[in-house]
Amino acid sequence: MRTIEYLLGPDAPMFLPGVLAGLAIALLCAPLSVLVVLKRMAFIGQGVSHAAFGGVGLAVLLGLAATQSFALIALFCVGSAWGIALASGRRALRADTVIGIFLVGAMALGALLVALRSQLVPGGATPPGWEQILFGSILEVGKADAALAWVMAGATLAALWWWRRPMLFWAFDETSAEAYGVRTGAMRFLLLTLLALAVVTAMKLAGVVLATALLVLPGATALRLSARLWPALGLSLLAALLGVMGGLVMSYELDLPPGACIVMTQVALFVGACVVGALRSNSKTEQPRTEKRA
Amino acid sequence: MTQAALEFDRVSYTYPGGQQALRAVSLRVAPGERLGVLGPNGGGKSTLLKIALGLLTPDEGEVRVWGMSPHQARREGVVGYLAQRMEAALDFPLSARQVVEVGASRRLAPWRSPPRAMRERVDRSIELVGATSYADRPVGRLSGGQLQRVLIARAVACEPKILALDEPTVGVDAEGQRRFGELLTTLNRELNLTILLVSHDIRGVAAGCDRVACLSRTLHFHDAPEGLTPQVLAEVFSHEVGAAFGGEVHVDAHHAHECPGGHTHDAPGAARREEGGERAHD
Repeated sequence: MRTIEYLLGPDAPMFLPGVLAGLAIALLCAPLSVLVVLKRMAFIGQGVSHAAFGGVGLAVLLGLAATQSFALIALFCVGSAWGIALASGRRALRADTVIGIFLVGAMALGALLVALRSQLVPGGATPPGWEQILFGSILEVGKADAALAWVMAGATLAALWWWRRPMLFWAFDETSAEAYGVRTGAMRFLLLTLLALAVVTAMKLAGVVLATALLVLPGATALRLSARLWPALGLSLLAALLGVMGGLVMSYELDLPPGACIVMTQVALFVGACVVGALRSNSKTEQPRTEKRA
Repeated sequence: MTQAALEFDRVSYTYPGGQQALRAVSLRVAPGERLGVLGPNGGGKSTLLKIALGLLTPDEGEVRVWGMSPHQARREGVVGYLAQRMEAALDFPLSARQVVEVGASRRLAPWRSPPRAMRERVDRSIELVGATSYADRPVGRLSGGQLQRVLIARAVACEPKILALDEPTVGVDAEGQRRFGELLTTLNRELNLTILLVSHDIRGVAAGCDRVACLSRTLHFHDAPEGLTPQVLAEVFSHEVGAAFGGEVHVDAHHAHECPGGHTHDAPGAARREEGGERAHD
């Protein structure tokens, strides 16, 4: 098996950081994805992740390498998350309209800045590495990236634990939460900031386009299987870990892009959860009928 | 005069679009009183409630909630609230009990686990509203009436002094309204809760309220329900009819201050319940 070869052989230092980063990303995305699904914020995740195109475009224009431009991309993503929160919070515009505007605006900005670079530096090569930000690459994940992913996972889990009570109240019943003194605006900003940072963290492994899948699929899978909070969070973590690890194994074995492999594994898990959920609800509806007949 | 639970002094509010919702509304709710606010759709009832909750700031006039500004009262958790539209995420993986716990512990320091007294308060609130049998059921599997009781239990577990309910009996049949009235009476008696109930349905207001305030931008009536006459109701609801026909509606603004019982009078029942409530707390 290539996977064992890669992870235990002489090339292990090249592959291990990717695996470690994957584990951290699973840990980071699992609780967030439950909130994303329940608060119907999947489209916001798309908007925030696509804001990275703007950051990538600016990095290209400035001639920065991918490793140097991560802070810039993070700034774009967090800035977009806050912009979306501010604009949709005023209720003058619907949230999906705001997200749609940010999404296309950031992509167009990125494309314009890349085009500007090729005009300003004729024949100049595009700075290496920016494709990896768009599509992800396990080989480009270094020790520093893995360490950063673990720091981000730790910080995100700590923030969620610290604000878990007002966050839960807000997530369940936003209108009433405000009346009960919960700072609903602050909760929205917090969750969007965590989402943006999670997207940036997951981006290097899974790419811009696919990063948000990690913020949707584990939670969606878990919520098909459980209607209880703690089991749902546990299942989300399990789905995220299985998805990331299964995706990496698939990527190693078949020599395919890791981002796409991770997402396809997550999709397979989701489909499996849907089947299990449907079978369970069928057996629940069958049971009373049988009892009635008896 | 004892401190009012809620006091509006010539409060006016106009929405950003220019639509005036309240004009010089003055009313006083005594501690332990159950006030029903009756009025047509668009008559300013929910606006009044939002101002009391500190969610809207009046253009003119002053509002005091137990002597505090509404914003301060909100921070202090003085008012428990049941929203008009059920906007909670019913697919949320929480049990009925967890919903009540989340409300009760919302201001608990993150490093503290809920103290025993809080857990007992949660249990008692669930018991008080009669939700014990379905307390461990996921919220998504509760009926509308059961969910409403759970949300009232949440409000009660937050230890408010005032319980504000926005159209709680919309779509509820006469029997349901009667049972809801009984629940409010129980809460009022057991906890000495001041209750502010807003409804466009006279049956919803009459069920278990000491006094009724008729609101259609201005206050038309503020007294015991027995004083409600067909003339008063016709005057209040003519606003709605007039607006529907695009006609000019004339309402005598002074009537609010001339109404029998006047806004500065406490309901006799309220004072009685206040004493009873103190005994209950003892």
